Amino acid sequence: MISRRTLLKSGAGAVAATLAAPAIAQAPKKISFLTWNIIDQEPMIRGWIARFAKDRPGVEVEWLDKKGPEIPVFYQTQLVAGTPPDIINTQGALGLEYAAQGALLDLTPRLKADAAVGSRFNADYLSNWAYEGNNYLLPFYITKTLLFYNKPMFQKAGLSGPPQSFDALIDAAQKMASGDASGFLTLNFDWLYWPLYATNGIDLLSKDLTKPTFNTPKAIEVTDRLAKATEAGAINKISWTGRWVEPNGAFAAGNVGMLHAHSPAYFFVKGQGKWVTPETLGVAHAPGGFATPNSHGLGISKASKNPDLAWDFLKFVTNEGAQELGVNRKLVTGNIAVDTKNLADLEKSDPLVYSILKTQLEHTDKMVGNWRLGNDSKIKEAFWPELQNVLLGRKDAKTALADAERKVARELKRG
Amino acid sequence: MMPAAGGAPGGSAERHNGWWQRKRTRELALVACFLLPSLVVFFLYRVLPLGWNLLLSVQYWSPLKPARWAGLDHYEEMLLYDDVFWQSLTNTLIFIGAAPFAIALALGIALLVNSDLKGAAVYRSIVFLSYPLMTVAVGIIWRWMYDERGGIINFALRESGLVAKPIPFLQSFEWALPSVIVAEVWQVLGFYMIIILTGLQSIPQHLYEAASIDGAPRWAQFWRITLPMLKPSLFLCAVVGILNSFTSFDLVYIMTNGGPGHATELLITYIYKSGFGQTKFDYAAALTVAQFILLLALTYLANRAAGGNAGSLERR
Repeated sequence: MISRRTLLKSGAGAVAATLAAPAIAQAPKKISFLTWNIIDQEPMIRGWIARFAKDRPGVEVEWLDKKGPEIPVFYQTQLVAGTPPDIINTQGALGLEYAAQGALLDLTPRLKADAAVGSRFNADYLSNWAYEGNNYLLPFYITKTLLFYNKPMFQKAGLSGPPQSFDALIDAAQKMASGDASGFLTLNFDWLYWPLYATNGIDLLSKDLTKPTFNTPKAIEVTDRLAKATEAGAINKISWTGRWVEPNGAFAAGNVGMLHAHSPAYFFVKGQGKWVTPETLGVAHAPGGFATPNSHGLGISKASKNPDLAWDFLKFVTNEGAQELGVNRKLVTGNIAVDTKNLADLEKSDPLVYSILKTQLEHTDKMVGNWRLGNDSKIKEAFWPELQNVLLGRKDAKTALADAERKVARELKRG
Repeated sequence: MMPAAGGAPGGSAERHNGWWQRKRTRELALVACFLLPSLVVFFLYRVLPLGWNLLLSVQYWSPLKPARWAGLDHYEEMLLYDDVFWQSLTNTLIFIGAAPFAIALALGIALLVNSDLKGAAVYRSIVFLSYPLMTVAVGIIWRWMYDERGGIINFALRESGLVAKPIPFLQSFEWALPSVIVAEVWQVLGFYMIIILTGLQSIPQHLYEAASIDGAPRWAQFWRITLPMLKPSLFLCAVVGILNSFTSFDLVYIMTNGGPGHATELLITYIYKSGFGQTKFDYAAALTVAQFILLLALTYLANRAAGGNAGSLERR
């Protein structure tokens, strides 16, 4: 005979199973997609999600967007909690740091198995996110530095065109500086100023990334020249103090000769500078064709419960989605076919933007400042304040570079 | 049945004691019930993180790697090799050092608005208005005011012929920290003023009347009556000033983000950058311990300066 307790237990079990079964059967496969400050593209992203989910019944994609400074905090707290978003959009070297921490899924086996995916992209941009030989992110949208110049100021100073060497750049800056006007400005975050060193044959680290190699007589000379040009007003001081808004805003004011910045700076400058037209704004490569990338990539969190679905979404966004993203935001995506088509259209519709974006796909073999480090932010923090000390007149170049070398070596040793 | 001799009084006392104990137990249980939520929150959000932070500071730890014992390595790094730690500590102390000036300024304003000055209530409101403003908004407003190109301060300085070239207030090593401190003082001034004003208004008038009758001049009344009677208010302002200096994260973050270089870096911003910017949570924990010790030491000193019993309950 069945006891009352057994009967109750069986009944409760049956009810629970009945209630849970449909829930389990109907539980959607869900992934989350974290983007970096592109909330303005909400209709486009919602459209991607709808199209992606339409062909995959029972699939849900949750979209999250955070501003740049919020992303690292958000992602790392989610990592600690064990609930990171399945797909993450990162900028610059941040993705490599996450890869080094073991937060991201190694995409190399998937790229090998799905060779067509890898071949969609510009190989130089794709390789920017290779850490210890493995690839962790796919290009989402790509940028690197270039030289914008103020044509009327060039004409007034008797300059025929953009400088082709570091010496010519400093000379041109000096010719344009007078009163409130200065000759040159550069963005400084994420190593964006490094082309100024690269064009002088200076590298930060040895090829194996284990030793600092920047403390050379040439580097001291270059740093000293930059400091003196800053002191003289040829280089605008905001180059070494501002981040994004301040330097771009200063160039937009119309009294700075050249701006060394990545391509998105154009839209900010155009928005603020009434003087900006195809006739007044010149676009060129920095001397030597060197540029520092600052692109956005998409990776998959290692803790993702649905990595295959996340990979499918990644492929979808960087291919079907890329076309729309490139057109909407007037940018290049690193997807060769998409960029070729979009640039052809832009050449007719917006020649100035076309000339800017074209530079992003040229000399891609001369990208610098993109060392494949797992502790890039620590190296940056060891180097930059010392350089800043020289450029703003607090230390001499020799002392500051020696101090920076000691600090960088220590960080490299600490790993 | 008759009760045993002496049984009734003894039984009554026992019953009374039992009732009293039950009452005490009930009261204690009630007190515990009221206190429990606060204690749980205090434990979860104060004691536990503090303990975990201490543990973290002696480990090598990152979100996805197993923790390893580090001993005092982070402290060694911080004290012997990290220039930025010393700079941010110095800046924090300078920030704290600015508090007495702000309090002195607030005292002056409070004395003015406490007098028969015409429109004192309006001035009082104007000075206080800065305090309820969001710190982020204050940071943005001051950043624009200091702006090299379009800032009102540079405009005024240039128009009045005091300077030929605009001063890059927030971009210069020399000007950045004083500029941020001015913004900080501006925001907190209203709060100090209200606290001191409340203190001023609670000083019994007969003390001044007696002093006047005795022929004490105004300055003597200020030094012998006003200042001593304001001691609790000034102590409160000093403690708030110290705490503000340690927690001025938002203002510095918005105005300079610790730059240029680390010219305006405070311990709190450096802790944040180490943790979330460079993923050095273990090192950030060691920095936090240093900040905690400093805070304890300063609070102790402030308490000593206030006579050693600030914050204690008055004995009846």
